[in-house]
Amino acid sequence: MVYMTYLLLIGLVLGLAAVASNPSPYFAALGLVTVAGMSCGILVGYGGSFLSLILFLIYLGGMLVVFAYSAALASEPYPEGWGSWPVSTLMLVYVLLVVCVSVFFSGGWFEGSWVTVDEFSEFTLFRGDSGGVALMYSSGGGVLMLGGWVLLLTLFVVLELTRGLSRGTLRAV
Amino acid sequence: MTLTHYAFSSSYFMSFLGLIFYRKHLLSALLCLEAMMLILFISLCLWGLILASTVFSAGPMILLAFSACEASAGLALLVAMARTHGTDRLKNLSLLRC
Repeated sequence: MVYMTYLLLIGLVLGLAAVASNPSPYFAALGLVTVAGMSCGILVGYGGSFLSLILFLIYLGGMLVVFAYSAALASEPYPEGWGSWPVSTLMLVYVLLVVCVSVFFSGGWFEGSWVTVDEFSEFTLFRGDSGGVALMYSSGGGVLMLGGWVLLLTLFVVLELTRGLSRGTLRAV
Repeated sequence: MTLTHYAFSSSYFMSFLGLIFYRKHLLSALLCLEAMMLILFISLCLWGLILASTVFSAGPMILLAFSACEASAGLALLVAMARTHGTDRLKNLSLLRC
């Protein structure tokens, strides 16, 4: 189980190095999808299966799909993957940087606890992370209303930003 | 620092470096910003899970809602840039300017 979490963490760091080396946006979106998949696995390994489901649904299924559709705006005839010279050099530099800095911080790597959250009570259906999110509806009702209001406001922001014929917020559009 | 803590801290700084040293496209910089938001989400989730106090699990959900707002604002700016300049390459912003 610990080896699985180690592999997922290594995959996370390598996938983020692939995104941070700024290839063509097609490949960067692919790298971000694999990073989100690895991090969902890490969350499940620590016992947060509901939060992992929310991440898959909302982040991968909502936001990254919109980014993938917007990648059509960044089209170019010869997209640069990780085989081109500047991108692969940057990725190598980032991975080497992470490995070299880890020498300074590798003191307490085997002292942390890998115990998952829901091992403390055997006969309950009350999972920790689901119960924590349910508090958003009871004690955190104000933040829920605020979040809904902000999402509605963002809809109007996007409308005014992309309203054409100089009628929106940007005169040039 | 445990391995998980180091992995998330280093990947946050690495995607921050990727945002700073952007290359050609605005969309790849926006994807690095989304990667930073993802790492923040996972770190907030793991904070409550590792310390076995999951009361704060609503925090990452609110973060996800607000990061969706930020991503949509960034993509609206990308669309505006594609409308005026025809592409999202950042060098086109300073090309042919008097």
